[in-house]
Amino acid sequence: MFEIEYGDSGEVICRGRLDAAQCTTAETFMDGLEGASTLDFNELEYISSAGLGILLKTQKRLAGSGAGLKIINVNNHIYDVFRYSGFHAIFDIHAKE
Amino acid sequence: MQRHFPRHLDSLSPLYEFTEQIMAASDVAAGVRFPVHLAMEELFVNMVRYNPQVDTDIEVRVTVPDGGTVTVSLVDVGGVEFDVTKQRPVDVDAPLAERTPGGLGIHLIQNLVDTLRYEYQDGRGEVIFTKGSGTENV
Repeated sequence: MFEIEYGDSGEVICRGRLDAAQCTTAETFMDGLEGASTLDFNELEYISSAGLGILLKTQKRLAGSGAGLKIINVNNHIYDVFRYSGFHAIFDIHAKE
Repeated sequence: MQRHFPRHLDSLSPLYEFTEQIMAASDVAAGVRFPVHLAMEELFVNMVRYNPQVDTDIEVRVTVPDGGTVTVSLVDVGGVEFDVTKQRPVDVDAPLAERTPGGLGIHLIQNLVDTLRYEYQDGRGEVIFTKGSGTENV
C-alpha cells in the first residue's frame, strides 16, 4: 500500500511502501508539484530504485526554476538507501529523530 | 519455502508478504529484512521488464536456516541472460544536472547483499543472494 497527499501545512505526506508497482501514483502526484516542496517520509516504510527515479526526476525539474525537494523524517533504512545512491548530496534530507 | 509469482508488477505485494512472513517467523532483524525486500524487488522487476515476451511465472525460494542468514533464489525460465553480478558503474557522486534515473537498482543490490551469484544455462537464469544478521548496513 502506498498513499500520497497534501498535509495541513502544505507538505506532501507519503505513507506505506513505494515500490515499482506504486510509481504511477507517486509520479502523477509529483508531476503536479511546483516550487520548493517538502516531502514528509515519517510514515514511508520503504522505497526502491523505482521511487528514487521519481524523486530524481522531480528534483531535476524543480531545479530548473531554482527550487527543490526537502525530504524530512526519513527512517534509517531509507536514509541508507539515499546514502548509497548519493542522494544526500543532491537533496535536502533530514533523518527521523 | 518456495512459490511461483506471475510475471508482472502486481506480484510485488504478494512477493513482499511471502518474504516478510518467512523472515518474521525466523525473527530476522528489520535491518536485514529491508535490504532483502529491496534486492528481491529489484531482481524481480528486472526479470519482468527485460523479458516481456516470456509468460512463465518466476520461481522464488526464501530460506532462513538457523534464524541467521537469509538466502533468496529467483529463477527465470525463458528470459534473456543478464548477469546481475557484473559491475555496472553508476556515478553516485555526479551533480544533479548529470544524474539520470535508472541504473541504481543493480548498484543497490551489489552494495546491500552479502553474496550474489548468477547462473544461466539453456534459457534458465537463477540469481541467488544472501544477507546475514551481522551485516545490518541498511
